[in-house]
Amino acid sequence: MIPASASSVADSSGAIAPSEKILEIDQVTVSFDGFLALNNLNFSLAPGELRVIIGPNGAGKTTFLDTITGKVQPTQGTVRFKGRNLRGLPEHKISRMGIGRKFQTPRVYLNLTVRENLELSCFPHKGVFSSLFSPRTPAERRTVPALLETVGLTSRAELPAALLSHGEKQRLEIGMLVAQSPDLLLVDEPAAGLTDEETYALGELLQSLADSHALVVIEHDMEFVRQIARQVTVLHQGSVLFEGSMDDVQSDPRVIEVYLGNAPSITEEQMRVLRVVAAVAWCDGSLAPAEEAIALERLSGLFATDSLQKDELKGELRDYLMTHVSLESAIAALGDRDLREQVLALSYEVVRASDPRDRDASINEREAYTYGQLIELLGLPPEVVQRIEGEVDARLMK
Amino acid sequence: MAVAKQKKGLFSFDLETGLAIALLILMLVAPLILTDFRLNLMGRFLALAIVALGIDLIWGYTGLLSLGHGVFFTLGGYALGMHLKLIQIPPDAAVKLPEFMGLYGVTELPWFWQPFFSLPFTFIAIMAIPAIAGGILGYLVFRNRIRGVYFSILTQAATIVFFNFFNGQQKLINGTNGLTNFGEFLGAQVTQAGPQRVAYGVTVVLLIVAYGLCRLLVAGRFGRLLIAIRDDEARLRFTGYDPTGFKVLVFAVSAALAGVAGALFTIQSGIVSPKSMDIAFSIEMVIWVAVGGRGTLLGAIIGALLVNYAKSLLSEQLPEVWLFFQGALFLGVVMALPAGLVGTLKTEGMMLLRRLRGQGPIPLMTYPKIAQDPDIVAEREALEREDEA
Repeated sequence: MIPASASSVADSSGAIAPSEKILEIDQVTVSFDGFLALNNLNFSLAPGELRVIIGPNGAGKTTFLDTITGKVQPTQGTVRFKGRNLRGLPEHKISRMGIGRKFQTPRVYLNLTVRENLELSCFPHKGVFSSLFSPRTPAERRTVPALLETVGLTSRAELPAALLSHGEKQRLEIGMLVAQSPDLLLVDEPAAGLTDEETYALGELLQSLADSHALVVIEHDMEFVRQIARQVTVLHQGSVLFEGSMDDVQSDPRVIEVYLGNAPSITEEQMRVLRVVAAVAWCDGSLAPAEEAIALERLSGLFATDSLQKDELKGELRDYLMTHVSLESAIAALGDRDLREQVLALSYEVVRASDPRDRDASINEREAYTYGQLIELLGLPPEVVQRIEGEVDARLMK
Repeated sequence: MAVAKQKKGLFSFDLETGLAIALLILMLVAPLILTDFRLNLMGRFLALAIVALGIDLIWGYTGLLSLGHGVFFTLGGYALGMHLKLIQIPPDAAVKLPEFMGLYGVTELPWFWQPFFSLPFTFIAIMAIPAIAGGILGYLVFRNRIRGVYFSILTQAATIVFFNFFNGQQKLINGTNGLTNFGEFLGAQVTQAGPQRVAYGVTVVLLIVAYGLCRLLVAGRFGRLLIAIRDDEARLRFTGYDPTGFKVLVFAVSAALAGVAGALFTIQSGIVSPKSMDIAFSIEMVIWVAVGGRGTLLGAIIGALLVNYAKSLLSEQLPEVWLFFQGALFLGVVMALPAGLVGTLKTEGMMLLRRLRGQGPIPLMTYPKIAQDPDIVAEREALEREDEA
């Protein structure tokens, strides 16, 4: 249903070689009266890539988009799109080269109907005189209904955009973006103010767009990022702090420091243990208080050297425990066998947390499945598993 | 939904055509019933309605509040006035100069007066000079992305500059006194009743042409782009349009309309002077459009006629009250009818009509998604079946 991104823009400026980057940002600095909104930023994006950019408030995310779209000129450095330097080009020329931008708050033409909104964006000749009297193009007539379908607004086509709900406006603006048939879409916080259901649908929409466009998505909602992200770039104080998969991002101590304000006091290895335990505890979709208490008690006991430190650590660990991670990647990061045995013992205890006297009662289907998966992934010999389970059972019976 | 939509579309079409037809009849019947003096007055107001159309184009549709259209109006007036002054010089005169120049000791006709001997040039200049002035001013302002209240202030400042300049040029254009005492034009004395009736007819025709031109401009893609500029100019820029060109063009068109109006007003009032570059006059133009209804075109014409009739009636009876009344009118419209007369009629008119006919309120239209939701459709059908059973 999505119109191909092979736009007239791309055709006229020559096809892009697959190895070539569609967007290259080289050592870009943007200074506002001495305040560095972007500081020596390097970034590149391959054609057809979907990249999510996260970062705390003031990290320079929006300035980053402003710089690409020509709203802000870099103080130093170059921005290249399809190999062409964008310096000095006004916004409309950059847009015509094939960059579409969605703003943080939905910005559509409120007094035009949904259909007219899409038609304006879709119309290929954007000069004054070609807009004056040229009739509706066949491309317009074909593309607009397909777009309405894609963004799910067919039944609203004749309503003025002012009457749409917030989520519908967000979708309409994305539709307008696609109508421009750009090669690169820049999307600023699309999930802001949407319900969970709408957010999920939006994620699906963005992922389907990623098949034919390069996409840069700025987002705060971590659930949403997890849904769509393949590669994540973390911005901090105007530069790239980290680039990698979502799981890597969530276990990176520097990223955690930036988001939570202080550096984790546990080692990276300990963090990995915690990740696995968190994954097991969260597997049934909730973190029961008993599960949380057990996990915190045991983990802090494991990592701390004295009781005072143990109490401090509990608070910190709770924050880390609150994030979802995937079991596979968490286990893959685990190193030696000792650590794996520790993880097994802890996870077994957490799974049995709600009612330690009854061996089977609290282990629901989902937990049992996850636990089975865990054993498989850990790759420990069966006798070791039995021994550890026995030890934990014995301790719980006391 | 489709049916309801059609009905509504038909109605608003009816309302606008209805008003347009009523206006047309009024304009055609006026020469038969009005005295020469009243007809001349109406002709002037119809000329002012042409400026109002121009204001509606840039303010109502594009969202640019110009407080300087008096300049373009006056430029159009001067273009025609200069031609009229030149053709009344007797062919056997020793010095071929308009009579006022002699008073200031001018001996040679200034260069820029020369082309105004030609009638075709004058006709073109009436539109082209204001359009070019507006285009240049617009380009400088819009290219630098000056918008909103800053744009309004700038146009007002430009008005003061022009006003002072025209006031100070006695030798060139007779300064404060302006150009008056016109003689013959196209073989007839312009001040006489017969030619004034012709002028009225020309004004009516040009008003219809201007209205048609504006309708054409706003009906298609160009009109939607103007609305898009008003709604969110930055968004339009990121969509690949350069708003500067659109704004310059629409500003120039609107200035040209003001020029035509100025010329028509001049020939019917018999004088053009810098007084029409008074800021108050430019603000009055905006009030006409606000009263009639922004973004409706027809509203601009109706507003210009109503406000000016009220003005002439009140000034005849109680000259000192008019300004207070105008202020009160503006405040009243802004607070009670923000969409203006025609805008309000468009939204409220249908309900009013139904109430008058005793048909009761309009059936509620629900949000289409709800009406089309398969679950709700099924539920509604079930309920209907129950009712039948």
